[in-house]
Amino acid sequence: MLTHTILRLGPGLAAAALLAMACQDSTPSTSVKGKPNFWAGPPPQCPAGKWTGGGRIDPPGNYDAVDETSGGMPPRYSDGLPPMNGKVTFGFNVFLAADQNTGQCFVQKGEIQVNHHPARVAWHVSIHNGVDDFDNATVFAAVFPDNSGRGFCVVVGLPETFMTARVNANRGFEKVQFEACDNDRGQRQNSRTDAMRWRASGSASGDGGDTGLTYLTGGNIVEHGGP
Amino acid sequence: MNGKSMHWVSGLAVLGIAVGLTAGFAVAGAAQSVSGKAYSTYVNTPLGSSGYSPLAVLPPVSGTDGAEADAAGSALNVAGALSSDFLNSITSGELGTTESGAQSTASAASVNILNGLITADEVVANVMSSVIQDGAFSNADGSTFTNLVVAGVPITSGDAAVAPNTSTTLPGVGYVVLNEQIPSGDGVTSSGLTVNMIHVYLQSLTGATCVLGVCTPGALTNTGEIIVGSATSGVAR
Repeated sequence: MLTHTILRLGPGLAAAALLAMACQDSTPSTSVKGKPNFWAGPPPQCPAGKWTGGGRIDPPGNYDAVDETSGGMPPRYSDGLPPMNGKVTFGFNVFLAADQNTGQCFVQKGEIQVNHHPARVAWHVSIHNGVDDFDNATVFAAVFPDNSGRGFCVVVGLPETFMTARVNANRGFEKVQFEACDNDRGQRQNSRTDAMRWRASGSASGDGGDTGLTYLTGGNIVEHGGP
Repeated sequence: MNGKSMHWVSGLAVLGIAVGLTAGFAVAGAAQSVSGKAYSTYVNTPLGSSGYSPLAVLPPVSGTDGAEADAAGSALNVAGALSSDFLNSITSGELGTTESGAQSTASAASVNILNGLITADEVVANVMSSVIQDGAFSNADGSTFTNLVVAGVPITSGDAAVAPNTSTTLPGVGYVVLNEQIPSGDGVTSSGLTVNMIHVYLQSLTGATCVLGVCTPGALTNTGEIIVGSATSGVAR
């Protein structure tokens, strides 16, 4: 049984805990029922989902406090990860699919690039055929309405295994989690309503942290091909 | 330059439950298209040259799909012209039933142009374009310079934006346009935007002659250019 408490151990221990626990539970069929505490909000849903976007956030500015705990997500820093502040740019594209047996959401294919400029760290996640290219594990995801009622959020890399990112092309690999919220669906785009959050263990980058859910300074997030 | 990588996702719908939505889109928006491109640096000068680097180009997107491409470089140095590091380019785009869009980001750190004539701790170009039922539009929100100095004059302190198309003369060199913005599209069914955060135009005086005390003025001609932080996005339906 894994819970989000593994990130409460502090930055140093969190990375080791992430890796160790990822090895304990990595199959879709054993995960959903073991997550009632983490998913205290609406249960994870897996509608047909394709999400794409990119842009920039500047935490701790433009903090999206209202939506951060949507779907049972933990408040920023509550898992022991330190603040990840300053300029963050990103781009991503993920296609979701549902496990036929459990109904749980996982990423069929996707690419996520996140750059933390103050630390000069760049993470890349690559997913093909339902598994993470860097550890061959399933990457679980969830889609849920945000607290503000304006849109939906997707979390990629649920606590079962989080997901593995390559760091700066050649600095190794570490566990990460990505969240994006599309809060202006089908309406005139307003950069400051869509939001993004990035959490990294720091085991390879030395730059572990949590941006908190943060409104975009610029860019756009679009849930397309979904409900 | 190293660490370059490019990735994209596109193609078929992955879920059976998406088939109906995809079919609906095919009727409503078959002509939609999105495009994106980003690169951190480009140098074409008598001192030396370097192509678009690192370059990320959005691959073709169809149906209700999306795609992402990124590229990175650890450092670039064209002696006497440009040095920079932590170079990153990202572009992504999507076609949807209610909204389609593209967004691109390019960044470069420790920027030094023409032996210190222009310096910046970091430059970020960020653009997005989107088309919905109400129209098409683009913006460059999030495009900034960190501690930009031009010809010894501080332009930004900390991380800040500069007004679009700010032009400054560089005596003996040419001129520079900061936050150069080049829009496209009609704003109804199409929109696009290119932002070049630093665009140096190198110029020289040619054609000036004096014969028997009669002088003919010459003309400034472009002899090269340097671009740092370029991002482009576009949509059409």
